Amino acid sequence: MKDSVTVTFPSHPKYLSAIRSLAEKMCLICGMTDPEAEDVKLAVDEACSNVIKHAYKGDTANKIVVKFRTGRKGFEVVIEDSGLKADPAFIRGRDLDDVRPGGLGIHLIKRAFDVFEFDELRKKGNRLRLIRHLKDSRENEMTAQEL
Amino acid sequence: MDIEIKDFMGMKVIAPSGEIDMQSSPELRKALMLFVNEKVPVLYVDFTAVEYIDSSGIATFVEGLKGMRPYGGKLKFFNIPEGIMEIFSFSKLDKVFGIYGNIDDAFKD
Repeated sequence: MKDSVTVTFPSHPKYLSAIRSLAEKMCLICGMTDPEAEDVKLAVDEACSNVIKHAYKGDTANKIVVKFRTGRKGFEVVIEDSGLKADPAFIRGRDLDDVRPGGLGIHLIKRAFDVFEFDELRKKGNRLRLIRHLKDSRENEMTAQEL
Repeated sequence: MDIEIKDFMGMKVIAPSGEIDMQSSPELRKALMLFVNEKVPVLYVDFTAVEYIDSSGIATFVEGLKGMRPYGGKLKFFNIPEGIMEIFSFSKLDKVFGIYGNIDDAFKD
């Protein structure tokens, strides 16, 4: 059985705490441990912060759609915006040894999720798909269709 | 997030509480930069009541540290909760900030 929850938030940083709360609850419902849920919560926060900062350039009058999907084998989060298109070729974190402000968020996202992919077919805005394989299946490769 | 500024035996201590994220980090930055601009030699940060920090909060502390380095200032953290310490370690920031178990150890060093 697959369950999904979709919420739409204004692109204002004051709503990030609400997104985090929901992300954490969804993880716990999905059977993750508290530390795992913390990692995922932080990753979802980072991804939504990136939307506000980069896709919307700080414009708070837009929308962010966050879809959580839980399945037997994995936990999927899809984040959609209608802002400036991200170029996956240029999305990379800083070298962790190169300590400077910024460039850490992408590492925190990839730490929590096994799959990090932009829907390159989307014409306007961005659709970021994040998948975390659940414990028993983390060693197996999975696509969103297999969740 | 709230920020309490304490003066402990002549030392400056910043004690943020709650969640440090993209919404609250500008306020933290303002408090940090106040001391950086005053060229405070050592700035202590009490993490006891910090419940959450994201990369924008971490970037704010890195920025503070970068501002202090030219005049030889130091940024010292203490009482960091386990979950936040884990993020600092992952980010290798435990190597650049002074990190101490408690206020006494931070003051002694």
